[in-house]
Amino acid sequence: MKNKKGHPKINYSKARKAYLRKLKKDKLLVLFCQIALFLLFLGLWQLLADFGVIDPFFFSSPSRIVSTIIDLGKGGNLWIHIWTSLYETIIGFLIATILGVLIAILLWWSEKLRRIMEPYLIILNSLPKIALGPMIIFWVGSGTGATIVMCVLICIVITTISMLNAFISCDNDKILLMKSMHASKLQILFKLILPNALGDFVSVLKINVGMSWVGTIMGEYLSSKAGLGYLINYGSQILKLDIVMASITLLCILAAGMYFLVSPLEKRFKK
Amino acid sequence: MENLLEFKNVKYFYQTKENEINALDGINFSIKEKDFSSIVGPSGCGKTTILSLTAGLLSPSEGEIVLDGKPIQKNDGRIGYMFQRDHLFEWRTIWQNIILGLEIQKKNKDPQKLALAEDLLKKYDLYNFKNKKPRQLSGGMRQRVALIRTLVLEPALLLLDEPFSALDFQTRLTVCDDVYEIIKSEQKTALLVTHDISEALSMSDKIIILSKRPAVVKKCVDISFSGTIPLSKREDKEFGKYFEMIWRELI
Ligand SMILES: Nc1ncnc2c1ncn2[C@@H]1O[C@H](COP(=O)(O)OP(=O)(O)OP(=O)(O)O)[C@@H](O)[C@H]1O
Ligand SMILES: [Mg+2]
Repeated sequence: MKNKKGHPKINYSKARKAYLRKLKKDKLLVLFCQIALFLLFLGLWQLLADFGVIDPFFFSSPSRIVSTIIDLGKGGNLWIHIWTSLYETIIGFLIATILGVLIAILLWWSEKLRRIMEPYLIILNSLPKIALGPMIIFWVGSGTGATIVMCVLICIVITTISMLNAFISCDNDKILLMKSMHASKLQILFKLILPNALGDFVSVLKINVGMSWVGTIMGEYLSSKAGLGYLINYGSQILKLDIVMASITLLCILAAGMYFLVSPLEKRFKK
Repeated sequence: MENLLEFKNVKYFYQTKENEINALDGINFSIKEKDFSSIVGPSGCGKTTILSLTAGLLSPSEGEIVLDGKPIQKNDGRIGYMFQRDHLFEWRTIWQNIILGLEIQKKNKDPQKLALAEDLLKKYDLYNFKNKKPRQLSGGMRQRVALIRTLVLEPALLLLDEPFSALDFQTRLTVCDDVYEIIKSEQKTALLVTHDISEALSMSDKIIILSKRPAVVKKCVDISFSGTIPLSKREDKEFGKYFEMIWRELI
């Protein structure tokens, strides 16, 4: 007999069954507590606001956030803001990841180049990229372009450094093994170095999801005409903190969504 | 039988920032075809260096190494190299691991080579694990896969650098037997590095004893036992005598 997943059905021992039952129960309990905590937090927030313990003008409330989102949605602009931020983040994420990996490959390939570039990488890595903000606006003008550049700057250095470390940390004996089989450097790269670094690559992807959102919001704070960062800035300037909170909520949902798109890769590629 | 491998007054210096390390100081020895030879010597004396030179991963500072009448070239490719750890690639299946070398040398479409790979898998009880990942195999099985990975390339000479030292004692004895049997039945020439005298004795036709660094060949001992399987050789009367003699040379 086979179960849904096509594995043959196994007759488990009593102890095993009890263990599996406990495992399942624990998992449900954790999930239940997570949801309960979330609802408790929202409920408490709502109640405190309703009874005037906290000032909803400053702290907003779940119901005000929902109605603000609905209002913004009706106005039609909300979608433009969401789309702008999402677009900037995804493009920035992709450019930074691809370019970062390519640079890391180049630096792995040539030890000389790596040694030459090392101090520059260290400086670039320790520089708070936001400091470049005003310069970026001068160079590429304000708007989507500047935000994407900010996003790329924030992600690319850490991508390069992490991937380069992953490439270099490959076991030297494995390289010798390939060489003893008469492998070319290109073959060593494609058959050993790259697949060996897949696990680290997934980690980098996960970090970059978070970092690229940081880049996008920073970029939009600096100068922009649309996007969730713009909306947050706008809301705080006209003292509509509901708009700020609504944007932050949307941001949470989008960032988490992107994270959950990337994280299944981990199971596949992490050793 | 003819000499397959010959070291002619080979010297090797490692260059480091601080100094020059004289690892090999004029090494001379030769290995006959289909013989199983071992190198023993104090730790750090230059055993791995000898294998690296033979595989063309390093080139001698002085002297010459000749394999089958032709000098060794950079990354020669005529040689199969087995390391201390099996170095199977975890992201590849057993089959993909075994044809790694064929892929590299663009022979993975050659039906003859593929048939050889299949045969070896079947012969050495690994066929059922063909599509498994390395982590699903025991240490001994992994080591056999590593051996087959080198054998499919049909190397003129097999180099083994302490291939059993990462295994526990029990596994070690059986894997040692397995590997020996495979090498003998495929009629391969092999050069084993080990720091275990009994291991060297139970497997070899010839033992090359090295001095401390800078290494020279102290003595070459031809070994002959009545038994054929490594484990049974360990019971031979002569075993103790040989052991003592080599032990004396090493201290
Ligand atoms: N890449 C290197 N650079 C500098 N010195 C090295 C290098 N590799 C090895 N050596 C030195 O050369 C000597 C011989 O090294 P080798 O690895 O050949 O010894 P070994 O006999 O295999 O040692 P072990 O028994 O530890 O495996 C050692 O003293 C070692 O410190
Ligand atoms: Mg060694």
